[in-house]
Amino acid sequence: MKQDFLQIDVAKEYPEFSLTANLTVAEGEFFSLVGPSGCGKTTLLRLISGLAVPDRGRIILDGQDLTGVAVSERRIGFVFQDYALFPHLTVKGNIEYGLKVRRWSTAQRERRLRELLALFELETLANRRIQELSGGERQRVALARALAPEPFLLLLDEPFAALDYGLRRRLRRELKALQTQLGFTAIFVTHQQEEALSLSHRLAVMEGGRILQVGSAPEVYSKPAHPFVAKFLGDANLIPCTVEVTGAGLLVTPEAGAAFTLPVDGGEVAEPGSYLLMIRPEDVVLAEKEVVYTGELMTVEYLGHGFYAEIKTGADLILKILVEKTTALKAGQTRGVSFRKQALKLIPIN
Amino acid sequence: MRRPGWGHLLPACLLVLFYLPVLVVLGQAFLRPNAWSELVSFLDSQPFRRILAFSTTQAFWSAFFSVALALPGAYFFGRYEFPGKRLLRSVMVLPFMLPGILVVLSMVVFYGQNGVFNQWLATLFPGRKLAFSGLYGFKGIVLTHVFYNFAFCLRTLGERWERISPQLEEASAVLGASPLRTWRGGVLPLLAPTIGDVGVLVFLYSFLSFTVVLVLGGYLYQTFEVLIYIEYNTKLNFARASMLAGIQMALLAVVLSIKRWTQRLVQQHSGEAAPLPPLHPKRQPVRTGVFLVYLGGSLLFFLLPLVFVLIRSLKQRGLLDGSWTFDNYRLLWGDSFRFAVGSDLLTVIGTTLGLSITVGVATAILAYLLARGRRQLPWGKLDLWLQLPMGVSFLTFAFGLIRLVGRSLHPALLIIWAQVFLAFPLVYTLLRTARREWGEELLAAAQTLGASGRELFWTVEFPLMRKALGSAIAYGIALSLGDLSAVLVLGQGKVITLSVAVYRLIGHYHFPQAVALGTLFIILAVLLFLIVERRLKHEAGFFTN
Repeated sequence: MKQDFLQIDVAKEYPEFSLTANLTVAEGEFFSLVGPSGCGKTTLLRLISGLAVPDRGRIILDGQDLTGVAVSERRIGFVFQDYALFPHLTVKGNIEYGLKVRRWSTAQRERRLRELLALFELETLANRRIQELSGGERQRVALARALAPEPFLLLLDEPFAALDYGLRRRLRRELKALQTQLGFTAIFVTHQQEEALSLSHRLAVMEGGRILQVGSAPEVYSKPAHPFVAKFLGDANLIPCTVEVTGAGLLVTPEAGAAFTLPVDGGEVAEPGSYLLMIRPEDVVLAEKEVVYTGELMTVEYLGHGFYAEIKTGADLILKILVEKTTALKAGQTRGVSFRKQALKLIPIN
Repeated sequence: MRRPGWGHLLPACLLVLFYLPVLVVLGQAFLRPNAWSELVSFLDSQPFRRILAFSTTQAFWSAFFSVALALPGAYFFGRYEFPGKRLLRSVMVLPFMLPGILVVLSMVVFYGQNGVFNQWLATLFPGRKLAFSGLYGFKGIVLTHVFYNFAFCLRTLGERWERISPQLEEASAVLGASPLRTWRGGVLPLLAPTIGDVGVLVFLYSFLSFTVVLVLGGYLYQTFEVLIYIEYNTKLNFARASMLAGIQMALLAVVLSIKRWTQRLVQQHSGEAAPLPPLHPKRQPVRTGVFLVYLGGSLLFFLLPLVFVLIRSLKQRGLLDGSWTFDNYRLLWGDSFRFAVGSDLLTVIGTTLGLSITVGVATAILAYLLARGRRQLPWGKLDLWLQLPMGVSFLTFAFGLIRLVGRSLHPALLIIWAQVFLAFPLVYTLLRTARREWGEELLAAAQTLGASGRELFWTVEFPLMRKALGSAIAYGIALSLGDLSAVLVLGQGKVITLSVAVYRLIGHYHFPQAVALGTLFIILAVLLFLIVERRLKHEAGFFTN
């Protein structure tokens, strides 16, 4: 497996927006680009596929520089957000399209077609027109069509965006299984953190045309390097704090809260100064000892498997917490909370 | 984007080819010595006031009756579902595909002095001397314009009505409003912009009416378009013709700006079509009855004149009470035909088909290239500039063209030049809309799958545009077939199309041949209509529903 299967180092300027990206994707990897709408993730996909041309930099796929290689010659599959299935062709016609324009022989084409129809359970729909298909079926045809000419790389631009939640979850699992089975390299664009976290080997969080952090899902989720990453992936409490280095470790003083000591692990934070303390709601615990904040419960929502609540602490700080249902919570109560220290992350303020 | 030079060449050429003749007319109208003093004295003269009064009043009443007669039908089309609705709706395009001269012929055959209508009146009320004698005059002209435009109004208003949610009326009724109040407060405000828009369009067509007024108006009733023709063709007064064309353009500009306004109003309120309840003969016997009578009446109004052209073409000497015969068709090969028309039948048909197909195909190709290039090049207001042929009449353009190029080009080329530009706005809009219906994503998808260049065109673009291109060509052909004025002016008597032939036969009172040739012409127009209709059927899912 080649670690630097795809190397991207590009920049693209638009009048109102600019994108710079530097990334490496390994062979067989399922890589996600995640970020809000307009962060540049679709633009990056279009640059990789050749549908857009970068102003600077290059893209190297399996050792070959793609600069100047036409879209049609790149052998990069693309699954579009609204599928872009050819309305004048049948399911079969759509899947075969790439094989025909690449001049596969009839025998090869038919073999490949049968294979794909079986793989995507589309046999009975082979002669249907696209207009007669459901959303999920269209999605499968789009995927089959993109994979048909055996691309070196598959790009997926929010392929589940148009589907309802349940179907999206099912197809997500199917896609993951398929990728594991066939082993193709995929770059998946989504603005849904849940999708990115559950699918990818690694992911990149983007915002405003920049890549903020790259890493595996647990890494990026638990150790966000940037406040935006923390907020974008899941719910997060971000509390301004000061850090001093003491003999026992780091002395953390959250704004309007009680100071506590954090053992130094791996020397990740060694510099004293101002930081943002990131703690996930599920890592805030109701406590009587080592209380960091005490405050009034503002909102209490019953979620079935537990409660979601917001605690108003001093200095206008509202803490989001998620607790198990064994705890009885009521709005108006005053409770103390502390943090699970190992889940806490200090993000430097630049 | 890679070759902006070439990309800009096409629209630049089109603009020059179109605007040069128009500028020539304007120059002749306003930049001659004494032009302005002549203009002022003409604007103050009796003939000007008479023409203005006639053109506007006939156009107003044509619009009024077309819309008023269409409204009840639009209600049924907009509020109920019934079998055959789609078919009826597509048939409503037919009058628009009929050449003007054929409409005139049908009206003469049906409502003329010795027409079917008057014979029926005489049979029904013997001795009462009831007769409709107003065909050659104001009433006849309005009647013919209504015949022409009524179906189009019905179709457009019905489609708009479908998009006004019935829930609005229900909500209004639940709140305690009377049916009249509901209509005034809930439906009318939403329908009014479309009524206005359609009305202005019919006004525009009637204001520009040439063939109908030329034949039915005689020397008493003239639109500007007819007068331009008379000044140019009969009196050879070019200066006067240019001045009239200039005045007409100014008046058209006013009408078109009103049209832009109504169009914007229409676009402001556009809703989604909601499913409609079926019209149930048992549950709504009165309504169903009224609708059937209305429908029957309009179909008869619509089809009878055409049917009687066919019937009379098969009667001895074209008379209703004559015996059945093919003589009239045989006469088309005779010397009298050649004498009246100035050419033989096969040449006429050949010329007509050659011209109209060339115009249809050339317009479609040009408009398509432009619609395609349009997505890459920021041409700004270009679309507006290309819509402007709508504000220039056939005669104005033809007249400008002949002043510009004179006799240096073959008349047929001049006719093609004129017709291509006059067909352009409609064909371009049609193709541009069709091109927009499917996104650029499809081309991107095809590229990522390995297609490029010509393959991209033939495997994606062409199959998706085929139907629209078919319609575009058919529209161009229909327009060319229906054009009389540009051919009369630019053909210089040498190019004789079916329209000219029928016009000349009517002029020479050769009715038997006129109805025979008219029938052949109707068949051609209907065939053309079927091509367009086939596309509509596919799009509307006529067979699948």
